[in-house]
Amino acid sequence: MPHSTVIIIAIFCALMIAVSFAIGLWAKKKATTAQAYFGGTAMFGPLAVGLSSMAGIASAFALVGVPGIIYTSGNAMTFWMLSGAAFAMSYIVLGKKVRAMAEIAPISSLGDICDVRFNNNHVIKALMSVIICLGCVGYLAAQISAGSSLIAQLIDIPPIVAGFLIFGLLTVYTALSGEVGGLLSQAFQGFIMVLAGLVLIIAFFVVTGGFGSVLEAVSAVPEVTGANGVTKTLGAGLLDAWGTMPGGISLTWMLIPILGCVGQPQCLTRMYAVKDPRDLPKAGLVTAVTHTIVGFLAVVAAYAALWLVATGTIDPLVAGDQAIYAFADYLGIWAQVLVYAAVLAAALSSASMFLTSSSTLISKDLTAALGIKIAPEKQIRVSRAFMFILGAVAIVVSIYSSEMVALLGTFGWGTLVSGTFPVFVMGLLWERCNEKGVLCGLLVSLVFNILPLATSFTFPSALPGYFITSALAIAVTVIVSLLTPKQTLSPKLDAVMKL
Amino acid sequence: MNIGKHKDLIAVLIAVLWIACIVTGTTGHFVTGMVLGVPLMLLHMLLGVAKNGIVSKKFFFYPLLIWAVLWILSFILSGYFAASFGGEMPTFTVLGLHPSFAPTIFLYWIGGQLTLNLGHYLYQDEWLSEKDWKEFCTKVRNLPDGEVN
Repeated sequence: MPHSTVIIIAIFCALMIAVSFAIGLWAKKKATTAQAYFGGTAMFGPLAVGLSSMAGIASAFALVGVPGIIYTSGNAMTFWMLSGAAFAMSYIVLGKKVRAMAEIAPISSLGDICDVRFNNNHVIKALMSVIICLGCVGYLAAQISAGSSLIAQLIDIPPIVAGFLIFGLLTVYTALSGEVGGLLSQAFQGFIMVLAGLVLIIAFFVVTGGFGSVLEAVSAVPEVTGANGVTKTLGAGLLDAWGTMPGGISLTWMLIPILGCVGQPQCLTRMYAVKDPRDLPKAGLVTAVTHTIVGFLAVVAAYAALWLVATGTIDPLVAGDQAIYAFADYLGIWAQVLVYAAVLAAALSSASMFLTSSSTLISKDLTAALGIKIAPEKQIRVSRAFMFILGAVAIVVSIYSSEMVALLGTFGWGTLVSGTFPVFVMGLLWERCNEKGVLCGLLVSLVFNILPLATSFTFPSALPGYFITSALAIAVTVIVSLLTPKQTLSPKLDAVMKL
Repeated sequence: MNIGKHKDLIAVLIAVLWIACIVTGTTGHFVTGMVLGVPLMLLHMLLGVAKNGIVSKKFFFYPLLIWAVLWILSFILSGYFAASFGGEMPTFTVLGLHPSFAPTIFLYWIGGQLTLNLGHYLYQDEWLSEKDWKEFCTKVRNLPDGEVN
C-alpha cells in the first residue's frame, strides 16, 4: 500500500478515536449516579439506542470474519448477517418488561434485574455473572486483538503500542463516563460503519454489475489457481442458500443470532437505557435500517472478492479474512480509508460495550453475589478503578497470549445465550419459572460451556456446542421449574410480568 | 386471544422445540429444524406481546403470523431449489440471485424487516400503548414492595 494512503488512513482512524474520546469526556458530566454510570438507565432516545445497539452487535468479526466465511464457504453465514429482524423480535419479546423493571427498582445492571426477579438469590446472580462474563471477556479480547493487529500492520508499530494507543484511550473514556459515554461513542462509531457500508454497497453494484454477474462468474469456473500458488474452489453450489457448510450450520446461524439477540448484553442493557419504552419500536427501525446496511456490506464484500477472483482480476486470497480488504484495495484509497475506519469502529464499539459489561458484572454484580459489600457512594469509584485494571490486563493478554485469545474466543454469542435465557427470557416471560429451575439451567450452561475446554468431552452432534448447551439449559430450566413448588411473585413484579 | 392460562404449556413447547431443533439438525433434517425454529420464535413473541395474558388479534395476524408464513416459506423454497440444482448453475435466477438464495434475501431478510420491524412500529399500541404504560407506572407506585417466597 502506498505510504500516502497509509497516512490518510491513519489520520482518519486517529480522528475517529479522538472524536470518540471527546464524546466520552463530554458524557462524564452526565454519569453522576450509579444508574447513569452503570446502565445509562432511562436516559436515551431511539436514535442513540438504535445506533449503539447495532454497533455493539456488529463487531470487527462481522466486518472481517463474516465476509471471510462467505468467501470461503458460501451463503450459510448470510443468515447471521441478514438478521435485522432480530432487534424487533428482541424488543417484542422482552423490551417492555426489561424497561418496566427500572420502574419498580433502581436498575443499573443485569444483576439488578436478576435480584428483583429471583429474590436476591446470590447463587443465581453469581452463576449468571460468571457465564456472561466469560462471553463478554471473550468478545473483548477478540476486539482488542483484531483492532491492534490491524493498526500495527498498517503503520508498522508493535501491536502492544497500537493496543495501548487505541484501546488504552478507549479504556480511559469508558472508565470515566461509564455506560453513558460508551453508548454515545458507540452510536458515533455505528454511524461510521453505516457510512462505509453505503459507499461499498453502491461500489459493489457499479463494479461487478450485481449478483447475476457474480453468480455467472463463480459458476463458470470450478477452480482457480493464482500466480501466488493459492487454489480457490468455486462453482454454483457456493452461492446457493446453504453454501458448502453442513446444513446444520445454516440452522445454527439462523436460529442462534435471531432468537439469541434478545440474550445479548448489548441488546438487553439498551432496553432499560431507553427513556420511554414506547421509543423501542422506533429504536428497532433505526437498528433495522443500520444493521441492514452493515450486514449487507459484509455480504457484498464477500461477493465482490469472489467476483474478483473468479474473473482473474486478483489472485485467490491466502486467507478468507482478506476479502473485505481485497475489495477495498481494488476500489482505491477512499474505500480503503472507509473500510479501515469501519473495522476499527466496529472493534471500538464492541470493545467499549464489553468492557463496561464485564467490569460491571465483576466489580458490582459478582462482588455483591459473593457478599462483598461496597458502599453505594464508593461503587462508581471502585468500578472505575476496576475498569482501568481490566482494560490494561485485557490489552496485554490479548496481544501477548494468542492461546488465551483463542480460548476466550470460544466463548461468545452462544455462551451469552445459554447464560441469559434462563434468567431473563424464561424468567421474565413465564411466571412459573422459579429459582430452582433457573439455578439448574445455569449450572447446565456453566458445565457444558467449560467441559469441552477442560476435558476431551465432545457433543455427539455436528452442531456447535453452544447451540446444544443453550437448548439444554432452557429445557432444564423449564422441567425443573415445573417439578418444583411454584413461587409467589411480589405485587410489583407481577405487574411487570403482566404488562 | 387469551394465552394466560396456557403459559405452562407454551414453556413446555419452547423446551420441546429447542430440543427438536437439536435433533433435526443433528440427524441431517436441518430444513425441518429451521421450519421448527419459526414456531419457537413465535411462542417467545406471543409471551412477550401478551398484556395480562391477552394477545391482540391485530398484532397476531400482522406482523406475527405473516412473518411466520414468510419465513417458513423461505426455508422450504431454499431447501427445494438447493436440492433441485444440486450445485449446478441454475436454469434461471431471481434478479441475478441463485433461486435457493433469493428466498433468503426477499422473504427472510426483507420480509422479516417489513413484518417484525415495521409491524412493531405501526402497531406499537397493541404491544404497549401510552395508556398501558401510564397505568402500569401509577399502579406500581401505589403497590407495596415484597419478595417472592
